[in-house]
Amino acid sequence: MVTKNYPDPKLNEKLRDRYYRRDQSKPEFTKAVREISGTMAHMCYQCGTCTGGCPSAPRSTYRIREFMRRGVLGLDQEALTDPDLWLCTTCYSCTDRCPRDLAPTDVIMAMRNLAFRQDIIPVNFLKTVQAIYSSGHGVPNNDVNRAAREKLGLTRDPPTTHMYPEYIKGIQKILDHYNLKANADRIVKEREG
Amino acid sequence: MAEAVSPTTSEKSKAPRIGVYICHCGTNIAGSVDISAVEEYARTLPNVAHVDNYQYMCSTPGQGKIEESIKEKGLTGVVVAACSPRLHEPTFRTATKEGGLNPFRFEMANIREQNSWVHMHDREGATEKAKDAIRIAVAKASLLEDLYPKSVPVEHAAMVVGAGVAGMQAALDLANAGIKTYLIEKAPTIGGRMSQLDKTFPTLDCSQCILTPKMVDVGRNENIELMVNSEVEEVEGYIGNFDVTIRRKASGVLSPKEAEARGIVGGGCTGCGDCVPVCPVTKPNPFEMGMAPRKAIYIYHPQVVPLLYTIDWDSCVKCGLCVEACGEKKAIDLEMQDELVKVKVGTVILATGYELFPIENKEEWGYKRYENVITSLEFERLICASGPTGGHLVRPSDGTTPMRIAFVLCAGSRDNTGIGKPYCSRFCCMYSLKHAHQIIEKIPGAVPYLFYMDIRSFGKAYEEFYYRIQDEGAKFIRGRVSNIQEDPKTKNLYVYAEDTLLGRPMELEVDMVVLAAAVQPTDLTNKTRKLFGVSCSQDGWLLEAHPKLNPCGTTTAGVYLAGACQGPKDIPDAVAQAEGAASAASIPIHKGEVELEPYYAMCIEEKCAGCGMCVNLCPYSALSLVEKDGRTVMQVTEAKCKGCGTCGGFCPGGAIWMNHFATPQILAQIDAFLIGGEQ
Repeated sequence: MVTKNYPDPKLNEKLRDRYYRRDQSKPEFTKAVREISGTMAHMCYQCGTCTGGCPSAPRSTYRIREFMRRGVLGLDQEALTDPDLWLCTTCYSCTDRCPRDLAPTDVIMAMRNLAFRQDIIPVNFLKTVQAIYSSGHGVPNNDVNRAAREKLGLTRDPPTTHMYPEYIKGIQKILDHYNLKANADRIVKEREG
Repeated sequence: MAEAVSPTTSEKSKAPRIGVYICHCGTNIAGSVDISAVEEYARTLPNVAHVDNYQYMCSTPGQGKIEESIKEKGLTGVVVAACSPRLHEPTFRTATKEGGLNPFRFEMANIREQNSWVHMHDREGATEKAKDAIRIAVAKASLLEDLYPKSVPVEHAAMVVGAGVAGMQAALDLANAGIKTYLIEKAPTIGGRMSQLDKTFPTLDCSQCILTPKMVDVGRNENIELMVNSEVEEVEGYIGNFDVTIRRKASGVLSPKEAEARGIVGGGCTGCGDCVPVCPVTKPNPFEMGMAPRKAIYIYHPQVVPLLYTIDWDSCVKCGLCVEACGEKKAIDLEMQDELVKVKVGTVILATGYELFPIENKEEWGYKRYENVITSLEFERLICASGPTGGHLVRPSDGTTPMRIAFVLCAGSRDNTGIGKPYCSRFCCMYSLKHAHQIIEKIPGAVPYLFYMDIRSFGKAYEEFYYRIQDEGAKFIRGRVSNIQEDPKTKNLYVYAEDTLLGRPMELEVDMVVLAAAVQPTDLTNKTRKLFGVSCSQDGWLLEAHPKLNPCGTTTAGVYLAGACQGPKDIPDAVAQAEGAASAASIPIHKGEVELEPYYAMCIEEKCAGCGMCVNLCPYSALSLVEKDGRTVMQVTEAKCKGCGTCGGFCPGGAIWMNHFATPQILAQIDAFLIGGEQ
């Protein structure tokens, strides 16, 4: 790789070496994605069916096909540090339509898993973890919702941990088993002080 | 178990002396097998009188080694350890014969496909396995006997099943080579799929214009006996002597010849069409993909061969108006029954073609849900001057001319979901390019958008055609269509895909969508292939004998393949294969006789109890019970027997001797494997 070392860091970044070289590919990343996702992630032929029907794609820079390509090539850093990784809504439209019968959604989930192992995760996801830990819900009930439920003739709280808070303990046990809450607290603290 | 004795061996064979020849196959075998260790080992085996090795045993010097040593060492059997017998068994049998032995005194040990190639990284294991294979082969070679192939005469006639362009070409070639040919077609006319097409790529010839002369030739050829509305019902026999029963379905209409046979002088169908206007029943015409009407008595289109009307019994109400209209010609018989016809032929060509995969199963594209989503075959009929709209491409929803047309390539092809087809349908890229051209040519200002994954323009002048169509203004979007949505008011369609080269999702509003649907074998293909004992691959296409070196043959002797029944094929490829199949099918007929491998079963009559269990087990109806010297014994029709061994394995009295695979020979192989043979 050739480095020019321009004095201006912006120019340096703009003119940096952009060749894809084989040593950037990590076969173990492809393998890990395949194993965690349970889908044959290395078999993507890049037809774009996934992105074509993705509800996130027209409103963002998220391109699931590009993540599939990074998975095939083993470009771990490119995949894991891309903030778009967190824009999938997991609607599974791509998985329904993939002609290679792959599950691109599960590939994204696998990559998120691998990213989290390196503490790469947006804070809002961690706050969801904290919310689940304290209430059993990622999006806990609120007064607007309660009023709407009442109007529909439903109980103010759904028959979940909201109605039976004694079961929150079980959820906490599961999250603690994976150290998820502790990790979430630690990272949130690091980022937000 | 008592030693069985071959019914053919009257005198005791002399002591076996076996020659063993080990082939290096360059490094194919020598790269993972220790040849000298195997050679040393072979010398220690019982009955082995000579061992040699060579770089390529199949070469002329390699074969020479076998011939010379048979004479010099007085060998009684030959073992070559090399590749699969499928490749070189005939070669080494010939060498064995040249050396003065009966060619069936040869046994092959496969140490390549089943050994060196699969144990490439285990030299020691591969070497041991090669020793085992040779020990087993020597054990069998020591017990091999002289066998003599039987010749059977070949009927001077052939049959072609399916009268699309491939079947027609095959039939014409056979007929022009002087062979009586029965051409069987399930539809009321010949011509097949090609007659439904408007133009052909890349030359843009009018499909009907180049096809109809061939159809006329077929209809007029003296050596071709055309049977339309017909299906193969039953097949008996073997190469040279197939007895095929054809079901001629009642068409309800007599040809002039048939009328004459019934004593109606000057009668029969002339194709005048007087019966059509009076018929009260209207149905969709399948030839027009259901987009034009036909009556219950109908022809597909004006150029049909033979020009005979047909009654659709499912819709005919038997009102008799057509009979009246036909009048003195008396061509219509509303009580006509199916007829079974038996013919004898020497060889058979299957040319059963393809049909479109039911693309509505891929729900995301909305076929049969959205009116303006059509298939490529429907497009062919709509753009064809003789089609239901006189060649004006219109939207099914409102009859207006579409100006923006999207083409969905790989619609159901290259699909591993289990709904579509995993293979490439091979000609959709090219006909979609042709469709784009036709739109640009016929509708000024209209724009075709081709959604593709890869453009596979592999044939002669195909890539040039792609260049031409792009230059004419067709838009290419490299991305597979994810889904299609309809505007319920305008019936316009929104096509969603990613332009993968741009890296952006796109939404395209169009007036019409054409699905280049995957193809699959026709519905009767599976039934027909089973009747002829032909295999198919996992996806249903008929299986050729060898994908490269015998693409027209099948594993059933005397049965050949032509056209798309063997796999998706465009017209040039279908015609080329048809000519190849016709040539292959004419060889046994011109030779007049075929040699059958002498692997038939034989009955050891003194042991046979005449129980007849084997008769029912035989898949080839080759066995029967006969009275002999006051006893009931089994008898084999040698020409029908394929040597499968079903009867021999079953016979409770051990009374069946399988030539070349006899019980003592097989037991010797098993013993050699289990006990080992070192001395």
